[in-house]
Amino acid sequence: MIAFILRRLLQLLPVLLIASTGIWAMIYAVPGSPVAAMVGENATPEQIQAVTVRLGLDRPVHVQYAAWLGSALQGDFGLSIQNREPVLNLIGQRIPATLQLGLAATLVGLLLGIPVAVLSALKPGSLMDRALSGWSALALGVPTFWLGILLILLFAVHLRWLPSASGYVSVFEAPLDAIRNLLLPALTLGVYVSGIFARFLRASLLGELKADYVRTARSKGLPERDVIGRHVMRNALLPFVTIVGLMMATFIGGTVVTEAVFTYPGLGRLLIQAISTRDYPLIQGCILFILLVFVFINLAVDVLYAYIDPRIDLA
Amino acid sequence: MSGRWLRTRQAAGRVLAHKGALLSLVYLALMMVMALLARWILPYDALTQDYVNMLQAPGPAHWFGTDELGRDIFARVIYGARTSLLTAAGAVTIAGLLGVPIGLMAGFFGGWRDTLLMRFVDVLLSLPGILFAMALIAVLGRSQMAALVAVGITGIPSFARITRAQVLSLRKRDFVTAVEALGGSSSYNMFRTVLPNAWSPILVQVVILSSVAILIEASLAFLGVGIPPPTPSWGEMLRTGKSFLHDAPTYAVFPGLVLTLTILSLDTLGRTLAKVLEDRHEVVDAPGGKP
Repeated sequence: MIAFILRRLLQLLPVLLIASTGIWAMIYAVPGSPVAAMVGENATPEQIQAVTVRLGLDRPVHVQYAAWLGSALQGDFGLSIQNREPVLNLIGQRIPATLQLGLAATLVGLLLGIPVAVLSALKPGSLMDRALSGWSALALGVPTFWLGILLILLFAVHLRWLPSASGYVSVFEAPLDAIRNLLLPALTLGVYVSGIFARFLRASLLGELKADYVRTARSKGLPERDVIGRHVMRNALLPFVTIVGLMMATFIGGTVVTEAVFTYPGLGRLLIQAISTRDYPLIQGCILFILLVFVFINLAVDVLYAYIDPRIDLA
Repeated sequence: MSGRWLRTRQAAGRVLAHKGALLSLVYLALMMVMALLARWILPYDALTQDYVNMLQAPGPAHWFGTDELGRDIFARVIYGARTSLLTAAGAVTIAGLLGVPIGLMAGFFGGWRDTLLMRFVDVLLSLPGILFAMALIAVLGRSQMAALVAVGITGIPSFARITRAQVLSLRKRDFVTAVEALGGSSSYNMFRTVLPNAWSPILVQVVILSSVAILIEASLAFLGVGIPPPTPSWGEMLRTGKSFLHDAPTYAVFPGLVLTLTILSLDTLGRTLAKVLEDRHEVVDAPGGKP
């Protein structure tokens, strides 16, 4: 097991190295360099020089890269240009909000997606199956920002039940208020993933239903409920773990659009703000952080999958 | 060649026999025609401002109402279709022109070239598409070109992977090794022998990626980092419409509806196409004549 994890980590190294080089090189690709973005248009040559030296941009390229990578590895992503705070602190403040939304959305997605998948897999090709496949197609096709706007129109503008802008309230401190704030964004994202979950689990269930052990279970007279619940579900859920993990990894960074719809103070909004103010250290920090989370959750999912499915050989 | 033409027609017939696909095709064709002829068939253009009739509700004069500058939303939706379709076409072209050769070479040569190229694709794939596009736009600045390139690059991995998988299944087939044995060059073999037989999943990918490209373009515009105004764009309209949810609730509804229908149509079309091409009896079209 440890050898497997180590080998996967080793395979990640080149990916991370190339990606981090790309993220670091962003600064050099910017027309007019970040210095111009910082000092403004009316800067004197002396000011430009001072800022260049302060940022260390007068050093040779490879020295700068080594220095950046060195501090990034120690968790130091530099200071935000906009408000002079360490980038890592800014990112850290947003993590609870993003995490809470991501988990809530995954929960909604599972609650909607699993019943849809099971019901349609029971009688493939039936009217029910086709109607539910339509649901999946719709869930995946409707852009999250439009669905979010429609939900706001209905529940906030028309019915006035829920707030149209969602703040972050910790579910541990004020559960009811947290749910009020989370409901619409979690539903928006949850509907989307429910489409992915349903499609994936349906295919997985149909594959298992063809297996020999199902025929055996049926022929020894087990009620269909037990065949599905005890035998098929267990096996079908194995590959499903992968996709749930993948979606959670995407949610850490991919809630950008939904956060924008509900002005939710998560990591995605931080990145958008950073881009609109051309705050390069913050952009670099956010993207590198999201990349790391994404890559490591993927790794964790692989390991978990190998762990729960004894048929997978780790060697 | 005539055999291939016949099969193409048969496949097209089977796609059209599918009601959903037919409906999607009609919708897309209608939108394309309207977007092309917009200047002649619409009573309003997308940019004329009218400060007397701002934020009007839908009515006989303005089917979808007017926006915060009194511009006709229906006209802006139709002109927005141009932006969306052009971005999709451009982005898919970029993705295909780079992704297909990458997959082709990786699958054909194998070995270190395969490892190198696919590692590059893995890196691209390691970031969620929209984040990558945003990072690129942060560097390039906001422009039509930046949006196009950003969306295009996010499509490279799927083209590369699909092509590679297809090439791997063809690589050891007799008609490919025969060309090799007869001394045909690698590039001739790749582009003239392997690629023509690998086109069907690539075609499906073109349709599916178009819908993805339209969605990403709209998302970028919605986030305020897409194609800069005043160019009409569905995402941008949804972004502004969101600020007027109380005063003009329908503002954001129509651009979103058209966007959703477009994405669903392309997706339905792509899926039907995939099904039809998969079912088709795989008759391998060995290249006759030359080498």
